Amino acid sequence: MKMILALGLVLITTGCVTSTVDEMVFNEPLAGIGDSTVVILGRRHASDYETEPDFIKCVGDHISRRDNSITVINEIDFINSLYPWFEPRTAPLHPEDITRLLEQDPVAQRMLELKTEYMIWVDGVTVQSDSAGSMTCGIGPGGAGCFGFGTWSNDSNYEAVIWDFTDQAEVGRVNTTATGQSYMPAVVVPIPIIAPVQGTACDGIGDQLLEFLSSEY
Amino acid sequence: MRSMTSGPDIRALGVALLLALLAGCGPNTVKVEGNFPAPLMEPIPLTLGVWYPEDFANHEFSDEAKTRSEPSWLVSTGDAQVAMWDTLLAGMFTDMVHMRGEPASGQMNQLVNAVLIPHVDELQYAIPQHTNIKVYEIWMRYRFELVTTSGEPIAEWTMAAYGKTPTAFLRSDQAAVNLAAVMALRDAGANFATSFTRVPDVAAWMDGGQQAIDNPPAEVDQALDAPPETEKAEVDS
Repeated sequence: MKMILALGLVLITTGCVTSTVDEMVFNEPLAGIGDSTVVILGRRHASDYETEPDFIKCVGDHISRRDNSITVINEIDFINSLYPWFEPRTAPLHPEDITRLLEQDPVAQRMLELKTEYMIWVDGVTVQSDSAGSMTCGIGPGGAGCFGFGTWSNDSNYEAVIWDFTDQAEVGRVNTTATGQSYMPAVVVPIPIIAPVQGTACDGIGDQLLEFLSSEY
Repeated sequence: MRSMTSGPDIRALGVALLLALLAGCGPNTVKVEGNFPAPLMEPIPLTLGVWYPEDFANHEFSDEAKTRSEPSWLVSTGDAQVAMWDTLLAGMFTDMVHMRGEPASGQMNQLVNAVLIPHVDELQYAIPQHTNIKVYEIWMRYRFELVTTSGEPIAEWTMAAYGKTPTAFLRSDQAAVNLAAVMALRDAGANFATSFTRVPDVAAWMDGGQQAIDNPPAEVDQALDAPPETEKAEVDS
């Protein structure tokens, strides 16, 4: 009974999200990626935003959770093991740049050890906009409380570009956008009704990548 | 009624409260800490000496608040600088040696192909309160001197490094500035590792000094173990 109540409360206090996913696949592997590994990396070239590391982890976890035969290499571990070749300054921008990278024996050797077949570059960000409303909180001898109403909108826009490491070519592109409105009414206690915008974008992009990488989807 | 708190306890609590209030008035202090990976590359066949000047090894950056609503900042990067450059140079060159003294004529030192002396000429930072962009940024300009063991210049050049990190839920300003500084240090390492041999004066020296590179100084270890008189004789000769 308590579980049902808790679930009901979560559903009530979750805002609505609208999401769109576009996919372009040029060369899909028919039997999944087999023993090979995949790495998901965030693009961090733009001056005014960064693709959130949490989002990259979320997509990787989503793929691993749905198909545990797929090995997703942790982004930080991958970047550290190939330092300094995947820093924002040095990271390859085009699939052809992989050739230049593999000309260096230690890099080629490390890539062989990691068995990386697909490199997925995710570029995008979740931003908060259109915030409105006001809230006042106070504290006194009798207790504390808030009164007011706040609302804001979150917009996610991410694009994942899939590179085939062996063929050194781009083999697919997935784009996802998600928008949601969150609310926070407060009568003594503030009740946040949060729209899981970034989570929805993560699930959307993760599902599309699974269709590409997994033989089960 | 008996009090639950004794006199000394109240005084200690008062002192703690006062200290907490005073701490709130001080600058935001960040001692930059991070892990720096070794570079994955073929080592350049050189025995490189490195000399960290005192202002580099203890480098810190301070910024006084311009208004009462802005905090002052004190960012210490010295230890992190040394940790990063030690890791990078040890992986970039066949051998890396810490020099005993600043290269100069008459200074007793180990025998190496050249000595690198890094300097931080400038450091700037930006936090979301300054820019209204939800990104913390650190920008540094390095100046490098490559000299012989007797201090004669081989090359001198500057290099920029940049690091940024986005705002995150429950991440303090200090933690974000630390992360941005670590990113800037990593960027400095990446920039140095990929551009060192392309610095014109360095490239010319490496081309001209190929003979020295082909015969790296085997006496480094002996020079380190030798008594001071022997070393003096080696340096003087």
